[in-house]
Amino acid sequence: MADEVRDGLKYSDSHEWVKVDGDVAIVGITDHAQKELTDIVFVEFPDVGKQMNRGDELCVVESVKSVSETYAPVSGEIVEVNEALEDAPESINSSPYDDGWLVKIKMADASEVEELMDAEAYKEKF
Amino acid sequence: MVKKSALHSVHEKLGATFTEFCGFEMPLQFSSVKEEHLCVRRRVGVFDVSHMSNLLITGKDAARLISLTTLEDAGKIGIGRSQYTALCREDGTVIDDTIFMHLSDDLFMMIPNAGMNEIVCNWLTKKASEYDLTDVEIEDVSRDYVILAVQGPDALSTLQKLTETDLSQIKFFGCQEIVVSGVTCYISYTGYTGEKGFELQIKKEEGKKVFSEILKAGEEFSIRPIGLGARDTLRLEKSFILAGNEFEGGKTPLEATMGWAINWDHEFIGKEALVREKEKGGYHRLTNMVCKGKGIPRHGCRILKDGQEVGTVTSGTLSPCLGVGIAMGYAHPEHRKPGDSLEIEVRGKTIEAEVVKPPIVPKDWAENHPVQ
Repeated sequence: MADEVRDGLKYSDSHEWVKVDGDVAIVGITDHAQKELTDIVFVEFPDVGKQMNRGDELCVVESVKSVSETYAPVSGEIVEVNEALEDAPESINSSPYDDGWLVKIKMADASEVEELMDAEAYKEKF
Repeated sequence: MVKKSALHSVHEKLGATFTEFCGFEMPLQFSSVKEEHLCVRRRVGVFDVSHMSNLLITGKDAARLISLTTLEDAGKIGIGRSQYTALCREDGTVIDDTIFMHLSDDLFMMIPNAGMNEIVCNWLTKKASEYDLTDVEIEDVSRDYVILAVQGPDALSTLQKLTETDLSQIKFFGCQEIVVSGVTCYISYTGYTGEKGFELQIKKEEGKKVFSEILKAGEEFSIRPIGLGARDTLRLEKSFILAGNEFEGGKTPLEATMGWAINWDHEFIGKEALVREKEKGGYHRLTNMVCKGKGIPRHGCRILKDGQEVGTVTSGTLSPCLGVGIAMGYAHPEHRKPGDSLEIEVRGKTIEAEVVKPPIVPKDWAENHPVQ
């Protein structure tokens, strides 16, 4: 089955997606990424309140076999993490764009989002 | 160049995600590691483990050669029996752990780990020559065999449908020639999952046929094909060694808590070194741990006691049965009593862990945890 690439989201080179909600960026990993990882069993979040720079290590996502880093696609403050993933990390696999969201970042510089790829560009690149 | 199993196209059709392991492209999973894992614990699963090696050791000196190069006195392992053992270097460190099967007069089959066929074959050949064992031939037939493992509470019922041989008569670690689905092959009551089950050595040409017959026969028991992902979580839960991890850097069978497998009443390569090590004592030993906090231990993680390093993790994962991190690793002898608390350092943070007696997951887990 082909990877889902959702319109209306922005994408990073390292397979994170961003949904802009006012001045908050909701961040997750793409369908392509979750397939590569196979079943996710554990997520390590940054602390709420932490200041991130674009490109900083964001979350660590673990499958049975491997440990993978995700990276902040935009700079800002972590305002919320998806605690539901503590008990159900597999939501990232089953619903990478909805229930499987990772963190919410209050953006320091909203223009950074413009530098991310749109759905077409991400589809083309990968 | 990456090698493939003779069953590769079958796995593709079954929807496998592949991974590379010891030079082989093998199925990592077909559905999900957790699902496959629990399927083996509760029902039955079939594994393609053709990446493992097959050596035929034949001749009047075959038993002598095996006795010389392993921890066991092969003369004690009669026809129809097999033994788990290790081949050691002169310094006592393990080259590979393996099972050898005494199939018939002067005929043994050894199953070294994936990618170890050449090394073990060369070692045996060299030592046969060094020790003047002339009536022995060692043949690497790894490429000629498909190896299938059928494991789980319903493994016997599944395989029984495919053979006239009364499988309940085969003893634990017994081995023999058998006809399964009309194909003559070798069967052993052995496995790497901690569940009851069998392993089959099948000539490559017949591999696909037997595999598909097993899947069909197992349908009524909800059989699944199982990948290497679950193979690893299953073995780790039962504290079984994965050579590439637990023997990394040169470990002796004493350090790896394989002392029970050492038959001290025979001469073997490495014996002197092991006698000395046993007398000296004080060596780090393989230790089993269950995490009390969140996080997953991984190979290479430090094991600490009150902030001091006392060991290193060699294998770690999230246990599908227990739902927490589990690990095996080498720890200082003073800090590995069952019940002892240790800390495992994962990415800068520590997870509290408790030392447990093997197996990490008990034998009757599935009975006590039926599907809700």
